[in-house]
Amino acid sequence: MKFSKKTLAAVIAATMIVSAFSACSSAPASTTAAPAATTTAAAAETTAAGGETEAAATEAAPSSISDSDRIIAAAQAGKVGNWGLGNEYEIFALLTKYGQENKFLSQAFDMDGFDDNSITLASAMTYNELGLVQNSYEGGYGYGDTVGIIDMNNEGVAMLEDNLFTTKAFAEKNPNTVKAFISASMKGWEYACANPEEAAQIVFEAGSSVSSDHQAYMASEVKKLVETDTTGNAVKDYGKMDEAAMQQTLDLAKQYIKLDDSTAADKLQALTLDDIRSTSYWTDALAGSFGAPEKTDVSIQLKWLPQAQFMGYFVAKAKGFYDEVGLNVTIVSGGGDIGETTAVNNGTVDFGVTWVSNLISANAGGMDLLEIAQVYQRSGLVLVYKK
Amino acid sequence: MKIIKKILNSKAFVTLVWIAVIIVIWEICATRVAEVKRTPENVLPHLGGIVDSLTSDRKINGSQSALEMVLENAGATLSRAAIGYVIGIASGFVLALLMSLSGIIEKIAFPYLMLIQLIPILGMAPIINAITGDIAISRIVIAAILTFYPVAANTLAGFKSVRREAHELMYSYAANKFQLYTKTMIPACIPYFFTGLKISAPMAITASILVDTLQGGIGLGCLLSQSLKGAMTRYVFWDIVVFSAVIGILSFYLMGLIETLLCPYKRIGKKG
Amino acid sequence: MISVAAKVNKKRRNAVQSVVCPLIFGVALIAAWQTGLLHTLLNTDEYVLPYPTRIATIMSENSDKIMANVWASVEVAVLGLIFGSILGYLIAIFATVFPKYGSGGLTIVSAFNAIPIVALAPVIINWTKDVSSEAEVRSMVAKVIVVTVVSMASMSVNAYRGLTELPPFSDDLMKTYAAGRLTEFFKLRLPNSVPYIFTALRVSVPGSVISALVSEYFAEYITGVGRQIRENILIAQYSTAWAYIVTACIIGIVMYAVLMLIEAVALRKRR
Repeated sequence: MKFSKKTLAAVIAATMIVSAFSACSSAPASTTAAPAATTTAAAAETTAAGGETEAAATEAAPSSISDSDRIIAAAQAGKVGNWGLGNEYEIFALLTKYGQENKFLSQAFDMDGFDDNSITLASAMTYNELGLVQNSYEGGYGYGDTVGIIDMNNEGVAMLEDNLFTTKAFAEKNPNTVKAFISASMKGWEYACANPEEAAQIVFEAGSSVSSDHQAYMASEVKKLVETDTTGNAVKDYGKMDEAAMQQTLDLAKQYIKLDDSTAADKLQALTLDDIRSTSYWTDALAGSFGAPEKTDVSIQLKWLPQAQFMGYFVAKAKGFYDEVGLNVTIVSGGGDIGETTAVNNGTVDFGVTWVSNLISANAGGMDLLEIAQVYQRSGLVLVYKK
Repeated sequence: MKIIKKILNSKAFVTLVWIAVIIVIWEICATRVAEVKRTPENVLPHLGGIVDSLTSDRKINGSQSALEMVLENAGATLSRAAIGYVIGIASGFVLALLMSLSGIIEKIAFPYLMLIQLIPILGMAPIINAITGDIAISRIVIAAILTFYPVAANTLAGFKSVRREAHELMYSYAANKFQLYTKTMIPACIPYFFTGLKISAPMAITASILVDTLQGGIGLGCLLSQSLKGAMTRYVFWDIVVFSAVIGILSFYLMGLIETLLCPYKRIGKKG
Repeated sequence: MISVAAKVNKKRRNAVQSVVCPLIFGVALIAAWQTGLLHTLLNTDEYVLPYPTRIATIMSENSDKIMANVWASVEVAVLGLIFGSILGYLIAIFATVFPKYGSGGLTIVSAFNAIPIVALAPVIINWTKDVSSEAEVRSMVAKVIVVTVVSMASMSVNAYRGLTELPPFSDDLMKTYAAGRLTEFFKLRLPNSVPYIFTALRVSVPGSVISALVSEYFAEYITGVGRQIRENILIAQYSTAWAYIVTACIIGIVMYAVLMLIEAVALRKRR
């Protein structure tokens, strides 16, 4: 079975290459290129048609399918999508909950796979991909409310995402810098959540290339994640590290982060909350009890590209909150292969924004990172499906 | 008539015909794609769309249009590529010289020289970054590593191409090692050296774009990955694909031009 | 001048030297690495650059998983290399038969080399979305095509040189034999191009491994050494990432050694 699939792949690749070659090999033959192209396109159409009938079948009975049936069906068909690279643990937890194998398709950073039905249950962040799927502004797919979502918070498998962290060594050496940075950043988040539209505009002007429409959508969705906890209650203290949610994240991490390195795997199992976070800096920061910062020029690397996902920091910078506490802050874009955990650990930047699960695996691997504030209070990950 | 015939037979015309063929095939495919896909620009956009995206003055981010953005980032990437390239050339040449001077060094270094090519350098980039401690320096270092092998290998082949008779002749003139190198060895290796330069010039650029994707900041690769990740219109991605292909080809010809300007043998060869 | 025995002796000594010297260097390097001397020199820590023993432990503990990923990568690299080389050679033949349009076409083919593979891989993965409903199959097709495109360019340029840069007067000699174009092709051009094929392969074998690894970064179906390197680096598991980096190097070395072996056999008669 395994072998035949690979042979099939080889044969397909060979025929495609040969047909492409025969199309290009001689100038007059370019007319033959058209039929060759049409055959592949025709083949494409048949698969697309197959997809449509499937979609039609599901449409026939819209509300009768439960989420669990959906998850099981997609998992059985091997059509659950996620980006992987440390973003997959909540999906694993969900699949396990429904007794499915922990496997997923690597999803590209666009939603084309969801659009063309190669992925039927696609991962999406509420503030980003979900907006692109539903809305019809530039880059959007315009599905509107013909799509439904499965929320990780409701399924009880939520893991906390965007936080604020540094290294233990940096925090011990520069406690006032850390407190001042938390204080000004949380002020930025508070302002951003109170004025999401203005925040979106600030991020756009700071050099983000996400379109204004999508940026505004993102700001409004991020606000919800920052101000609501996993159970749906309002959170008043920005950056609060909720004990129960943190513990759930750590427990799920221990269960679903699979490390090949046995030393790291053992260390992961032994981690406690005190190994990954400290609440004292945040408490002092909010109380305003900190002195002059030891280090005034600091930088923060984001988990992803500059966008409203990180509006609090952009707002704090633009509104002068960092200046007020005597800090000169540089915001470094993320999203490359040099992750924020690596960059903070090797000292190229001082602070970082990452997902708690990524911080946990980094510490298991031997880094000494410390979470100092938890900005997102609930999981922003959902699985999106066509109704 | 004669002029028309001359144009029809010229190399430039042939290249133009090929480009036209590719454009036709591209457009046929793009038309098909536009019919079956909801987001054709993610798969294969019309060339017109790419040109439009470059000429329109719509602002992509707070302040720049697509063309301004591509050019600004290209400036950063190309200058890093150039620095990396020069370092790569210099170290490649020096290593080849050392290897030709000492048999032991050649024997030690040659297998490892090949090994460097086999290391997945992109995977090692974070490690290089951790060592250098600065993303800009690591980008230059990686571009240099990726370009220096062709230069070193070709230059060494050039040194080895010096015929035994030339060696013996210099010996009979009682030339010392320095004279031997400046008068025979280095001039002999120049054509090979330029072959290395021509191979590695486009490599320096692709390598530089590749290492841009490692972290944010300014650079064509950063822009490319942002566009791929949906942070801006997909046309920026296509702009960069086209732009990098054009620059890569130009760099190859540029090296050829420099060779013709610097090296007398080339000019004589052309006339003859 | 020098006796035959001495010459043979010298040759033997040379051969021994060219094995022993790099070996000593390699052992010294690993020793410096294991003892932490390398860390001091490079100003780095054991976290980013784990000790060889730690890497070896991880490799032996996960040998099954690593081998599965190795096969996935090797299949892609080898298939792409074969397709790309055949295709490149065919292009070279075409360019030889129709010199005017052919050499222009070669310029276009070498232009592919100037497109960065990080741009090429996602594009080709998008293009091959419809070839199969099985993610495993279509991912493999996409990866093989990426490797094909990359290895095609160097083969076509080199093979074209082999088919056209003939020994002086050999062309005229064939003419005096009244040989037809086909005879000339099979008896003169084809054999003449063989060493050039190996020149091309020396570039494209390492190239095919690297491009297979990079194309795995973007493929839908998650497998392969390259993907594992990236996954582990992103979740900050440097020791494991190193295990896969070492594995990738070994793949490259083995494939290169196989090429050398084939070359030695194929070109034996010429030396």
